[in-house]
Amino acid sequence: MSDIEVNGIKLEMENPQSAEALSSGEPAVVAPAGSQRYRMIFSGTAGEYFRIWMVNLFLTVLTCGIFAAWAKVRSRRYLYARTLLAGQPFDYMANPWFIFKGNLIVGAGILLYLFADTYNQLYSSGVLLAFYLVLPFLICKSLRFNAYNSAYRNIRFRFYGSLKESYGIYLLLPILIPLTLGLIVPFWMYRRKKYFFQNFSYGATRNSFEGNAGAFYRTYGLAGLVSMVFLGIGVAGFLGFVSFVEDISIQPAGLSRAIVLIPIISYVVMMVYFTLVQQYIFGRVTNYCWAQTRAGTLQFQSRLEIRKLMWIRLTNILAIFISFGLLIPWAKIRRTRYILNSLTIISERSLDEYSAAAEADQSAIGEVTTDFFDIAIGI
Amino acid sequence: MIEFKGTYFDGRSSKAYAVSIQSDGQRIRIAGNADGLPLLFPLGKCRLTPPLGRTRRSILLPNGGRCDTADLRAFGKLESLKGDNRILRLVNFFESRWRLVVGCLAGLIACVWMFTAHGIPFAAKKVAYSLPPETMESVSERTLQALDDGFFKPSALSQKKADHLQNIFRQLIADVDSGFHYRLVLRSSPRAGPNAFALPSGIIVMTDELVKLAENDRELIAILVHETAHVENRHGLRMLFQNTGVFLLISVLAGDVASITSIAATLPTILVESGYSRQFEREADLAAGMILVGKGWGTRPLQTVLQRLSEKQPEFSGPAAMSTHPQTRKRISYLQDLEASLTR
Ligand SMILES: [Zn+2]
Repeated sequence: MSDIEVNGIKLEMENPQSAEALSSGEPAVVAPAGSQRYRMIFSGTAGEYFRIWMVNLFLTVLTCGIFAAWAKVRSRRYLYARTLLAGQPFDYMANPWFIFKGNLIVGAGILLYLFADTYNQLYSSGVLLAFYLVLPFLICKSLRFNAYNSAYRNIRFRFYGSLKESYGIYLLLPILIPLTLGLIVPFWMYRRKKYFFQNFSYGATRNSFEGNAGAFYRTYGLAGLVSMVFLGIGVAGFLGFVSFVEDISIQPAGLSRAIVLIPIISYVVMMVYFTLVQQYIFGRVTNYCWAQTRAGTLQFQSRLEIRKLMWIRLTNILAIFISFGLLIPWAKIRRTRYILNSLTIISERSLDEYSAAAEADQSAIGEVTTDFFDIAIGI
Repeated sequence: MIEFKGTYFDGRSSKAYAVSIQSDGQRIRIAGNADGLPLLFPLGKCRLTPPLGRTRRSILLPNGGRCDTADLRAFGKLESLKGDNRILRLVNFFESRWRLVVGCLAGLIACVWMFTAHGIPFAAKKVAYSLPPETMESVSERTLQALDDGFFKPSALSQKKADHLQNIFRQLIADVDSGFHYRLVLRSSPRAGPNAFALPSGIIVMTDELVKLAENDRELIAILVHETAHVENRHGLRMLFQNTGVFLLISVLAGDVASITSIAATLPTILVESGYSRQFEREADLAAGMILVGKGWGTRPLQTVLQRLSEKQPEFSGPAAMSTHPQTRKRISYLQDLEASLTR
């Protein structure tokens, strides 16, 4: 079509008449006739990313964390640059100095918390409370900062989510979770995803999100049901073991060893199980959210397979364990590749015809803070 | 003259234009088949993105436009002409050579070792000593309260015995002379068994079980001296800061995957922290040993009570690196060596 071949990089286009979407059980994306399908292609390699990661990690530790901001921009720039859509890469354009300033503020906050904690736990609770009060602000700022600094074909993304909505989602709803015995967790997740997917824009092209909370209740409901069964089996197994131990009085040494092993084994089983549930929810929610999102006439199709996600996550964790962390970059590339390569963009218009939005500057403090405290606000 | 092919984006629309880029080191010219082209800019007004692996490079133009190119060699020439990104070029030089990357791994391991073995303990000590002794009072009181609520019962010792212990303790701390408000707290705890520990503000807790385990006053004094040494050397506060340092270091190392690998990250944390704890025990044993030798008793009272304690409690059977207290045999032989070197 109108896309050109640039510098020998060929575009990959799928057959527009692909009917796979309808057979996959996921909410089907019905592509209008004549539209083009573009697969997202992640071409990062573990070796290249490992080298970047290692050098930057070394510099970060060597400089007592000062280089962390530059390291972060470099690693994110790499992941973006290796993500191709219709032959063109994405760009991450954040200025490391902004992130550095954010890091300083976060560092000061942590020191304040620690000192308050050694004097009087009442003060440190105050610091923690203050943190929860600014968190929605930081999340909103962080989303804006990251969107603004992400670009495709030299057109920046934008995030239009309001501060008010962020406070509703990240301050008000979490308070209601214990009051409703956790029943609003799927709704909370829905609101978070909606906040994310609905408020993005590519240049002047705003997203819209048609999803509803029902799909989230179904996903969480199934996960909850399976967890109940699993927990039942676990309790029954434990009781069985206890009665077994009581029946056959094994010699003390063997018994004490077995008792030491119980918490370890049950901990590992629990962690594996939580990982699997997490992947199930992640896969279902991601597929659903993309299917419900439109950007102008653009449609998205994410076809993550739950079993593959689970397999990748479990083997990644195992690999990171036995390699003493050296395989972290490999694991990250592997998972990113699977997730991004499962995403297809369906467009009626040529990708050449999108235009930029009006300019505005955004501060960076949000960006790092949320990252440091590791709040999963991403896709 | 440098010349290469690229893709131009004007920053207003997503349209890609195939262009050719020329530069003489002073100016840059972008020519191609589109409206508004060719463009001419002074090179000093343009920004070049830093090198990163084998990914495409870009020229950010003063008009908001951007030229991407996969011709890394020509771009590199332009960059050295312009003199941009000196530090990140060096970083990229390291990143693109496996041998240097392995060097960085070695450097990283050395740095982490230096930090955990020296840097963090040194900094923690500096900070701990710069704080007034009253700092930990409120936290210590709370800790004791929490232990009282869940763990301890009031002491069942006779009033006479308790008074005697308080007397011994008062004489002991009269020698120490420091800013700490010392207090001996007696509690009964069948669950904890024979035990004693110091809270950072100077509260020393001893269980009835331990008092009964000791065969004479000297052994009790040996324990109390060991505990006051923990307080005097600010081990509680230092431990807190050191553990914070290790936590921060491991967070940096694990990066943003910290959440998935949290299980993996706890193991090194436990190893490092139990190492710190064993060091503090040794330090307290050293201080206690010196005082006991000074009293002319030798280190025997501490040795015998440690021996009896370890017989009472099953020795930690895991790997030595994970136990918080150095194994009793090691501690006793350390005390013997200490006495030998002091009385020679
Ligand atoms: Zn001790």
